[in-house]
Amino acid sequence: MPKRGAQPLQGEVLQGTLDLLVLQTLLLGPAHGHTIAYAIEHRSDDVLQVEHGSLYPALHRLEDRGWIASFWGTSENNRKARYYRLTPAGRKQLSVQTNRWQELVHAINRVLRPASE
Amino acid sequence: MKLSRFFRRRQWDEERERELAAYLELETAENVARGMTAQEARDAAHRKLGNATLVREEIYRMNSLGFIETLWQDLRYGARMLRKSPGFTFVAVLTLALGIGANTAIFSMVDWLVFQKLPVADPKTLTYLGMALPGGALHNDPQFSFREYQEIEQQCAAQFAGIAAAAFGGASGGQSSPDGLTYQGKTRSVQTYFVTGNFFTLLGLRPTLGRFFDPQEGQAAGADPVTVLSWEYWHSQFHDDPAIIGKTVAINGHSVTIVGVGPKGFVGPTPLLHIQAFLPLGMLVIDAGTAPDFLSKVDTRPLIILARLKPGSRPEEIRPALNVVGQHLLARYPRPDEKPDGMRAVQLRPPGLLSGTGMNPLVRAAAFFFTLGILVLLLACMNVANLLLVRATARQAEMAVRAALGAARRRLVRQLLTESLLLAFLGCAAGIGIGLATTRLLTTMHIPTALPLSFDFRFNWLVFAGAVVTAFLSSLVVGIAPALRASRAQMNNVLHDSGRSVTSRRQRLRNVMVTIQVAGSLSLLIVAGLFTRSLHSAEHSDLGFDPQQVTNITVEPNQIGMPQAKAEAFYQELLQRARALPGVETASLSAWLPMGDSQYGGPIDIPEIQPVPGQPHPSALFNAVSPGYFQTMRIPVWRGRDLVESDSAAAPYVAVINQAMADRYWPKQDPIGRQFSVSDNPKHPVHVVGVIRNFRMVDPYSPIEPAYFVPLPQHYFSTMTLHIKTMVPDPDITRQAVALVDSLAPTMPVTVESMMETLNGINGLFLFRLAAILTGFLGSLGLILAIVGVYGVMSYSVSQRTHEIGIRMALGAQRRQILRLVGRQGLWVVAAGLGIGMLLAFAVGELIQDFLVGIGPADAVTYTTISLLLALVAMVACLVPARRAVHVDPIVALRNE
Repeated sequence: MPKRGAQPLQGEVLQGTLDLLVLQTLLLGPAHGHTIAYAIEHRSDDVLQVEHGSLYPALHRLEDRGWIASFWGTSENNRKARYYRLTPAGRKQLSVQTNRWQELVHAINRVLRPASE
Repeated sequence: MKLSRFFRRRQWDEERERELAAYLELETAENVARGMTAQEARDAAHRKLGNATLVREEIYRMNSLGFIETLWQDLRYGARMLRKSPGFTFVAVLTLALGIGANTAIFSMVDWLVFQKLPVADPKTLTYLGMALPGGALHNDPQFSFREYQEIEQQCAAQFAGIAAAAFGGASGGQSSPDGLTYQGKTRSVQTYFVTGNFFTLLGLRPTLGRFFDPQEGQAAGADPVTVLSWEYWHSQFHDDPAIIGKTVAINGHSVTIVGVGPKGFVGPTPLLHIQAFLPLGMLVIDAGTAPDFLSKVDTRPLIILARLKPGSRPEEIRPALNVVGQHLLARYPRPDEKPDGMRAVQLRPPGLLSGTGMNPLVRAAAFFFTLGILVLLLACMNVANLLLVRATARQAEMAVRAALGAARRRLVRQLLTESLLLAFLGCAAGIGIGLATTRLLTTMHIPTALPLSFDFRFNWLVFAGAVVTAFLSSLVVGIAPALRASRAQMNNVLHDSGRSVTSRRQRLRNVMVTIQVAGSLSLLIVAGLFTRSLHSAEHSDLGFDPQQVTNITVEPNQIGMPQAKAEAFYQELLQRARALPGVETASLSAWLPMGDSQYGGPIDIPEIQPVPGQPHPSALFNAVSPGYFQTMRIPVWRGRDLVESDSAAAPYVAVINQAMADRYWPKQDPIGRQFSVSDNPKHPVHVVGVIRNFRMVDPYSPIEPAYFVPLPQHYFSTMTLHIKTMVPDPDITRQAVALVDSLAPTMPVTVESMMETLNGINGLFLFRLAAILTGFLGSLGLILAIVGVYGVMSYSVSQRTHEIGIRMALGAQRRQILRLVGRQGLWVVAAGLGIGMLLAFAVGELIQDFLVGIGPADAVTYTTISLLLALVAMVACLVPARRAVHVDPIVALRNE
């Protein structure tokens, strides 16, 4: 459930950003789609709400590029689930994308500052 | 994307499904844990996930090559559509196949004539030399003596890498017939070619077996009795027997040893004419027409000179040097009858050495056929486009529905284009089949002539590529307009079923196309009709002689090396024995057959006629015949007397002339007792003793030329034909005649044919028949196209007007009125087409005027018959749909609303 005051940014998550979020989530260890979706929601204080279905094409794309790998495992409640883990290439990609994101945020902030003061 | 995923995308999709199911299970379980009921939990989980099918589709698309996927879809759909209307598919594919097939066949011909190179090393640097005609054009008939060749070889050594000379065999005393090759008691015809020792080296060829000639071979008359066979002759006559090397055979009765077999595919530097045996130049003396001292004679010019350019050199660059040599030659060996414009070297263009000047005549013929082929293809394309247009309009509703369901316009156009591409592909496959069959037919077509002609229209990759490109282009031409039109269908109009009222503009385009088709078809049919009528009148034209029950037996004693004295005795004996055969009415000999491969004639001098400079010199055709020739041919002697046995070699020279010669040179006078002489050898006065009725000697259509006939003993020819006329048709006469020749001269090759077969030869009716068949074929093709076009448009128009017709009938219109209403529209289109077609046919008729016998190019009978026929057929094509219109049930038609 979204918290009051913070309007969820549903459907506005940029594609590249979703990739970044998924990679960052997997940095903590292997996880399946359900966990990843909730992790992103929780860690953003429910501001970033992905439609959970849209996560799967993103996962597919990342795996296609070799940044994550998948395997069938057993979930916490003893059910079969598909787990994803970060590959070395994905780890490298994460730092590249994080840096780029930081640059972008700084740049946008610099542009916005004069107007907000 | 990994390609393995593409092939395993179905399996991959199943895995996605399981993954998504796992998510739902997990989420549902958690929801239950949060206190929801089972149903609520499941619904909430589904909401959270979103559209699972969409997710799977997205991933599936990521795994597939989008273009191929849709292409495959379109192809499958297209194939289904085509299978659903087999009639349409059959007609469209057949139409395209005929168009493409005709073009493939023609293209393989063009390919051979224009693109294929002589099978020699580096054909681009090969040239032939000649004395240019005034104006600079070069003809490449034999025109050098051996002396001149030797001088050229010496003086042009700086310009060329090599120079060789060659001469055709098989010419004697103005007659030309192949030589004879005798092996194991059997003599067969052989086309010989006599070459200098360096000929094969110059062309850069390697023998399949044995050796070629040494450089010094061929320098002396009759000194090197060896021969090299062409691969094709060795294959067909000696069945690839390698033991033939070293064997001795007789050519024209002279022993020669086979020393080699040439490379496969090389049949001499002249196209069409197949050279079967090569001999050293000096051996030319075994040809009866060649003097023993021809190598040293300066006014005997039987040689063709081939020269190989030095690397990097071009014919234009060496022209000044050649001119110097040419001037020198002309000063030393004058040519009083010619005014040559210097010596030239000309590149030996594909397909090789052709006689005649200027543009390669075969290339011109090819261009003509190519144009015809393209025209037929265009007609075919127009027809298929028309059919597709009709279908496109009929499918408007389908297209509108698909557009309404979200198909992009581009996607619809692509779908329709794929369908027409599929059609074109099928048409292409069938067309290549037709093209192959036609090509084979053309290659193996028997051309009635004694010369060994060879065609080599091969089906190769270039031809295949040509066919595929043709098919692709036609599918675009055919498909693009209907595809754009159908995809533009106004959804509202169509779905509200008011589309039928806005079709008049579209109908106009189709009407124009049908008009053009009818016009094209009419002109094709009229041309076919003209040729057929022309053949008919040629067949029934008054030849001036009676070919019935006449058998022609042609022999050439030179082929077994029989000298003149023996041959004369042989002919005398043959004639006597033939006359004694049972059932024979008359028999006689002559040197030239009417409408045979060649005729003989030349300038004559007449004392009463002074030659005027600039006017053609008096001339006449000429034949040497035995007494009785005119009886055998049933040609009446109108004045004076026939030739008789007493007109011997020792008697005064006499001749019988035809009426045309009497009219031309002694008009309104009595020609009997007049005299004339042959301008060149032998120059002696000949007395006219008789005049015969005109008969056709050259071909069935030209005006009859003056001609005279001399007694055989006064003018010897080697090749003669025995004409035997039987009292009743006797199929056994052929066998008897061959047996007769065989008993007198064993191993002598014999050509036997009936006079009717002779008349069907290449100078007789053969070309008329060929033209009639070819244009008849094209005409029928045009007719089918026109019928399909008219029928298609009319039945479409009726189906569009069903509603309107229903209302008219409900309001009391009679069936006859409806019939008239529908028929009128079709008749307008047909009438316009007929009018334009007539004009077109007049234009074409002018072009082919010269080939028509007994009828003018505006032959009223042909025009009327063909127009009526086409009009009738078009009427039927209109009436069938019109009848359907009449049987419209008004209730049904209106309920459709």
